[in-house]
Parts: sequence; C-alpha cells; structure tokens
Amino acid sequence: MTSEDIKEVIIAIIKDIDEEADFDGLDADKPLRDQLELDSMDFLDIVMELRKRYKLQIPEQDYPQLATLNSCVAYLQPLLQDA
Amino acid sequence: MRCSLLVIGGGLSGLAAAIRAARFHPDVLLVEKHSRLGGLNSYFYRNDTLFETGLHAITNHAAAGDRKAPLNRLLRQLKLQRGDFSFCQQLGSEIRFLGQASLLFSNDPEVLFAEVRAQFPESWARFQRLLSLVADYDPFTPAPFRSARATLGEVLDNPLLTEMILCPLMYYGSSRADDIDLGQFVIMFRSLFLEGLFRPAGSIKDILEVLAGQLRALGGTIRTNCAVHELLTAGDHVIGAQIGKGERVECDRVISTVGHRETLRLLGRSENAACEPTARLSFVENIFQHQPWPEWQSLPKRTIIFFNRGERFSFHSPQSQGVDFTSGVICFPSHFEGMPGRSLDELRTTHLASYGYWKALAGTPGRYLDEKRQTARKSAQTLADLFGSFPANIVYEDTFTPVTIERYTGKIDGAIYGSPVKFPDGRFGCDNCFLAGTDQGFLGIVGSMLSGVSMVNQHILPRL
Ligand SMILES: Cc1cc2nc3c(=O)[nH]c(=O)nc-3n(C[C@H](O)[C@H](O)[C@H](O)COP(=O)(O)OP(=O)(O)OC[C@H]3O[C@@H](n4cnc5c(N)ncnc54)[C@H](O)[C@@H]3O)c2cc1C
Repeated sequence: MTSEDIKEVIIAIIKDIDEEADFDGLDADKPLRDQLELDSMDFLDIVMELRKRYKLQIPEQDYPQLATLNSCVAYLQPLLQDA
Repeated sequence: MRCSLLVIGGGLSGLAAAIRAARFHPDVLLVEKHSRLGGLNSYFYRNDTLFETGLHAITNHAAAGDRKAPLNRLLRQLKLQRGDFSFCQQLGSEIRFLGQASLLFSNDPEVLFAEVRAQFPESWARFQRLLSLVADYDPFTPAPFRSARATLGEVLDNPLLTEMILCPLMYYGSSRADDIDLGQFVIMFRSLFLEGLFRPAGSIKDILEVLAGQLRALGGTIRTNCAVHELLTAGDHVIGAQIGKGERVECDRVISTVGHRETLRLLGRSENAACEPTARLSFVENIFQHQPWPEWQSLPKRTIIFFNRGERFSFHSPQSQGVDFTSGVICFPSHFEGMPGRSLDELRTTHLASYGYWKALAGTPGRYLDEKRQTARKSAQTLADLFGSFPANIVYEDTFTPVTIERYTGKIDGAIYGSPVKFPDGRFGCDNCFLAGTDQGFLGIVGSMLSGVSMVNQHILPRL
C-alpha cells in the first residue's frame, strides 16, 4: 500500500465509526483524537478494524504510534507492504 | 461446544458486552437463565398489557448531535443509530421533602439551578462550588470509597439541601446504605441533573429487541432458558462452564454480569459477606394500572417525584418492618413528551424494604401474599396523603419484593444495586473472567450498558 492508500484506509475506518466526522482541514501531523473528537473508546475501534480488515495484531504498547495520520502511515506501511 | 467469549447474563450489561465483542469477533455466546432477556429491566404480560419490570426513566439524556455525551458514545460503540429508537423526554421531575422544601428539575439543568437559587439563596454560591466539583472530578479512575455525604456536608454546609440533592441520586444509583461514593455521586449528578431523563415511546421491549437483533446480526449467539450452573477452572483460569441441561461449553474468556458473590458461587469459591461494609439495599416496587383519575388532572404533571416525609432522609433497609414508607420514588410513565396515549394509566412507586423480613414471610405463602397486598395499600395511602386522593379504579396492581428480585435475577438479598463494594476494573481474582454490570459499578440502564462495553474494551478486545 502507498502512504495515500493507508491514509484513505484510516479515513474510511473513522468515517465508519462516525458518519459525521469532519475531515476538512485535518492536519496530518496533529493528533487525530483531538481534531476529530475521538475518545479512547472510538480510538480502540480503529485498532480493531485494522485487525479485522488486515489481520494486523497491534500490541497495546504500540497504540500511541497511531496518534496522527502521518504516524499511522509510518507505523503501518511496513506492516501493510503486501496488502 | 466452544466459544471465544462467554457472557453470563442477558441483562443490559450482558447484551452490550456481547454486541461490543461480536462487532470484531462473532464467536460470542450469551447465556440467560430466563426465557426473556432484560434482567432487572425486562417486561411481562398481564391482562393483555405489557408491563415493564423496572423502567421508570432512563438517565443520561443527550441531544442527537452531542458526540461526547455518554448515551451517544454508547450507541456508537454498539454501532446503533439514534434512529433505531424512539425516545421521549421527561416533562419534569421533583424532589419533595414534605413540610420542608421542593425542588423541580428537568432536562434543562437551568431549571434546577434556578430552583436552588430561589429556595436556598444563602447556599447558591456554595451550590456553584458543587457544580465545579462535579465538572472537574474524574469519577472513572478507580479510587477508594469517599463519602459524598461528608463532601456535600462540607461544600454545601446546608443539611436540607444536601439531603435533597442526595435523595434522587441514591435512589437511582447507590448500592450503599446512607451514603454514596463521591465518584458515583458525580456520575449520577451528571446523569440525572445535567443530562436528564427519557424513556422509549413504546417499552423496554423495543430496546431489548434492537439489542438482541444487533447481536445476532453481528454473528453472536443468544441462548435463553440457559443458566450457567458452574464455571470450570484450572487454577485462576476459567476453561469452560456447565450450562443449560447438562451441556458443557469451553471458552477462552468470560464476562459475568451476575454479580461478584454470585460469580464466586459459580466458581465454587468461598465468599465472605462480611467484607461488605454495609448491608445490601433492597426495595419494593408497586405498579398500579388505573382508569384515568380526573381528580389528579389539575395537579402539575410530574414525571418522577422523589419524596421524603421524615425529618432527615435516611437510605437504608428498615430493621423491624418490611417496607419503609417514609420516603420513596413515584413514577408516572405517561408523563414524558410525546408518549402515545393509552386508555389506562400507570403509576409506579418504590420504597426501601427489608430482604430478611420478606424472606422470612416467603415461607408462608398466604401471609406473604397478604403482606404484598398491604404494601400496595400503604403505598397508595402514602400517595393519597401527598396528592389529596388516590385512583379508586385500579384495574391491576402488582408488587415486587426483594424476594421477587432474588427469584428472578438471582441477585443475593434481592439487592437491585448489588454489592456495596464495587470492582471498577472488573477484576476479582481470575485471569480471564471479569465482572461487568451491577457489581463492576456503573448502575442503571445506560450505566450498565457502558459497563459491559468498557469491560470488553479493556479486557477482551485487546487480547482477542
Ligand atoms: C424495580 C426496578 C426499577 C428500576 N428502574 C430503573 C430506571 O428507571 N432506570 C434505570 O436506568 N435503571 C433502573 N433500574 C436499574 C437497572 O434495571 C439496572 O441497573 C440494570 O438493568 C442492571 O443491568 P445488569 O445487566 O447489570 O444486571 P441484570 O439486569 O441483573 O442482568 C443479569 C442477568 O443475568 C441473569 N442471570 C443470573 N444468574 C444467571 C446464571 N447463573 N446463568 C445465566 N444467567 C443468569 C439474570 O437473569 C439477569 O437477566 C431499575 C431496577 C429495578 C429492579
């Protein structure tokens, strides 16, 4: 997957969690949680969806690496190379 | 048989837990010993009418767009839409301390604030300090018990106002005699006074059907008429359960919503009731179905009235009698905005009761039934004292005692709110079995569902 693909995947997952999420002006270097008003419960959904869709096992200690759109790309790209 | 997650109990916490897990892993089995789901908040039929067993009002009302509100977070977590339900908001409720003061509140918090300011002007500044405390306090980080009564005593420095604020919050959410944990107080204050009350336009059955439908749609399995008799263990690890009529199910993890000591019994472990700091609380609930009662038409329409006729408000099970009629809760299920009209009206009352008294009576069915009837009469008399009259044309009445609650939900001592000690992180000494619902500590309909969701989020999903 390219970095753009991964961004799209994350955005699609968030849209699925919250239909009303507003992505206009989203800063890829700032925490998704603050910008999209996601709470820790919503955040867990992102992890769980990645697992469901791509069989990715993301250990709890790695959750912080999914904080921003760009950090998601950095963390997920090696894992989703062949996806 | 085997499953990845076994959920014990098909009440609201069990249903929410099972849905949450099934969203990501459908291999979930929910078992409920009764023929119907819902637990404390279920329904039954008499005289061709559906009666709700527990529902007065659901707390935590929120506008549809308020993303951070507990109700909407809960629905998001379960992947349900507001449009799946039809909710009606309360008309307005009252805290009435007879001969002392009365405070109105509604889903607009300003109503309560204005009442406090008007009737307790000397305490208004202190009440605002209480509001700041409620806004700033983090009730979700587990902490040792802190007395809300003592804290309010200091912050408000007004015994009457303190008791009036505590009364509804204790009735709707304290498992502890004469007090409530400060964290639980903050949760209940927000749920009742800042968010508010509502109910389904139809009945709790509609909500239960949406939940059961969602669980099945996600691939989960529901077994009713199927009790867990025993949990099978290897050390501190649960490996399976003996369920139904001699079946055995193997499982990787368990969420139990049946209570702490109740779960210890299933594990065959010893339990120590003496660890509980106060006696468990029990209640009686009366339902009166009646023809419209014109004499009440001129009375202001209240949704719920929390009343106290005593000099002080006490919140413990009575010692020497079956029921304490000094205080209670009165609910008018038709007094919600936009409730479809019905030809018959319904009225519900709740009072504190003694489990021991009712348990002793239950041995002599004739006396037990007689006492139930007397309880309904005395509760009716209490209302007649409050409102000047009581509907003469009762079509159907029923009384649930602590023994009824014990019989139907297996709650020890018929204690609706379970153990006075809670297990906020769901852990109680097993490495793959966790408590959710009543004894985890979040109470009420929305609370118990959030409890199911958060225990699955914390213990099940990250490890699946
Ligand atoms: C009279 C009354 C009025 C109430 N009014 C309101 C209200 O107006 N608003 C509000 O928000 N809350 C109200 N409540 C409280 C609310 O009902 C509870 O807080 C909530 O429903 C608790 O849900 P739960 O899932 O934790 O427990 P429960 O509902 O007790 O669920 C536990 C389930 O486990 C089942 N079970 C037990 N043992 C076993 C076993 N061995 N195997 C299989 N299944 C088993 C039980 O049958 C039950 O269905 C009321 C309760 C009562 C009794």
